[in-house]
Amino acid sequence: MNFYLIYFLVAIAIFGFIATFSLVSVYAERKISAFIQDRLGPMEVGKYGWLQTAADILKLIQKEYIVPALADKVLFTIAPVIIFVAVYLGFVALPWAPSLVPASMNIGVFYVFAIISVEAVGILMAGWGSNNKYSLLGAVRSVAQMVSYEIPIGFVIISAVMISQSLDLQVINYNQGILATQEIKFLGFLNVNHIGGVLAWNVFKAPHLLVAYVIYFIASLAECNRAPFDLPEAESELIGGFHTEYTGLRFAFIFLAEYAMMFLVAMLGVTLFLGGWNTPLPNIGSLHLADYTTGTFWGIFWVMAKCLLVVAAQMWIRWTLPRLRVDQLMTLCWKVLTPLAFACLVVSGLWRLILLSA
Amino acid sequence: MGIEQVIFYVLAFIALASGAYVVLSRHLVRSVFMFFVTLFSVAGLYVFALADFVALTQVVIYVGGVLVLLLFAFLLSSKESLEGMEKIPSGLLSANRLPAALIAIAFMFLLGYVLFQIDFENLDWITSAKANGNMILVSDNTIRNIGINLMSKYLLPLEMISILLMMVLVGAANIARRQPKV
Repeated sequence: MNFYLIYFLVAIAIFGFIATFSLVSVYAERKISAFIQDRLGPMEVGKYGWLQTAADILKLIQKEYIVPALADKVLFTIAPVIIFVAVYLGFVALPWAPSLVPASMNIGVFYVFAIISVEAVGILMAGWGSNNKYSLLGAVRSVAQMVSYEIPIGFVIISAVMISQSLDLQVINYNQGILATQEIKFLGFLNVNHIGGVLAWNVFKAPHLLVAYVIYFIASLAECNRAPFDLPEAESELIGGFHTEYTGLRFAFIFLAEYAMMFLVAMLGVTLFLGGWNTPLPNIGSLHLADYTTGTFWGIFWVMAKCLLVVAAQMWIRWTLPRLRVDQLMTLCWKVLTPLAFACLVVSGLWRLILLSA
Repeated sequence: MGIEQVIFYVLAFIALASGAYVVLSRHLVRSVFMFFVTLFSVAGLYVFALADFVALTQVVIYVGGVLVLLLFAFLLSSKESLEGMEKIPSGLLSANRLPAALIAIAFMFLLGYVLFQIDFENLDWITSAKANGNMILVSDNTIRNIGINLMSKYLLPLEMISILLMMVLVGAANIARRQPKV
């Protein structure tokens, strides 16, 4: 029975992490936006406003559930749960440190990719269930965008997987540092199995993956429906998009899913391209920095540090760039990112065949 | 009964019940969303058959692709054509439903016949595979096997499917293209 107890504890821990992360990152987002727009941001609740988001969530919990009279009540109620659970399930496969992963599976990458696509159904459900034209338009836009951007994301993920030769996220992690079981070559020629550090990360093992990571990052912003791809909730055109009609805790769940999604795509990208829980510090001569900074605690530390940096970049972009038009969005996806992703895939194949087999 | 069996029966029940709802409901959107539940629980059943790759492919292709496509088709179809559908007489043995009912009953008979005729434990190929140790275990990495087979034994079908999909893509792009002004 202990066995099942651990499962529950892991599930609760992941949920707790998502909730804490959302609280902190909403505060961070408001402060970053304030800094970029030369304001102060929240300053009233607590010193420097650091209790602001806690106050916000208390307010959200107390609010009344309002279901529009003509809404499809069943779909309207289930939708936020499906949106959140889709993202929540994605966290199951992501490794935090050597030998610390909630569920180890040999098709982890594919699993995360598959489970994220369920979110689209939840969003359509919310849009249709609300029985509101703005919600429906927002949902249709959102789903069209997510389905389109899944294609470049899929191809860059495959090009990273071709370099790593595994779909198991934990194996991908292992092979980007000093604990690797296969041979790692920096830029394809220099063996760095014992040096590790930043030189062993996928983006430096095969430099075309840097391009792939940029594609992944752009497309993941669109997957999260974040600016500059936030057309689904463009408040000047659609009021609030698919979550216009939601109040209280249901809205909180949609919001939680959005922030969890930010962290999820950041973590998947970090794992596939930026070394996951591996340390960026290499072994230099007799100074074994990489050996010192590899372990369970360090693994969690490096994953958190890298992911939070990526999330900070997502926020920075949100408050810097203007929103794209629908046609620009589709042009970017189909005419720029998808061909580039295909090119990355071909280069990965050639890299594997020519450089690594020799 | 182990926890696996409980989960199996729960998934099977959900698949059957939601499938029945999909067919019986008069509420089209809800039945499309219920189809999502059916597909998901069938994906769960695939996991029990040690076909985790197929299960995930089911989620990607059907939930992320086909279901969204169905919903879009539903959202874009005109109200009149949907109302026309409701005018179809609803008796079980009406002219519109009789062929479907016959086919369904015949198929069910066939499935039941196979189920009761065959002793699944003692089939020749199953016993010989067991004897040779030609089995997939829970801990095996099935995906490597799938990849190698797709790229060697089943390369021709794979390539034929990709050519077919290519043709579909080109055709779809051609249909969606802006019509030249005559």
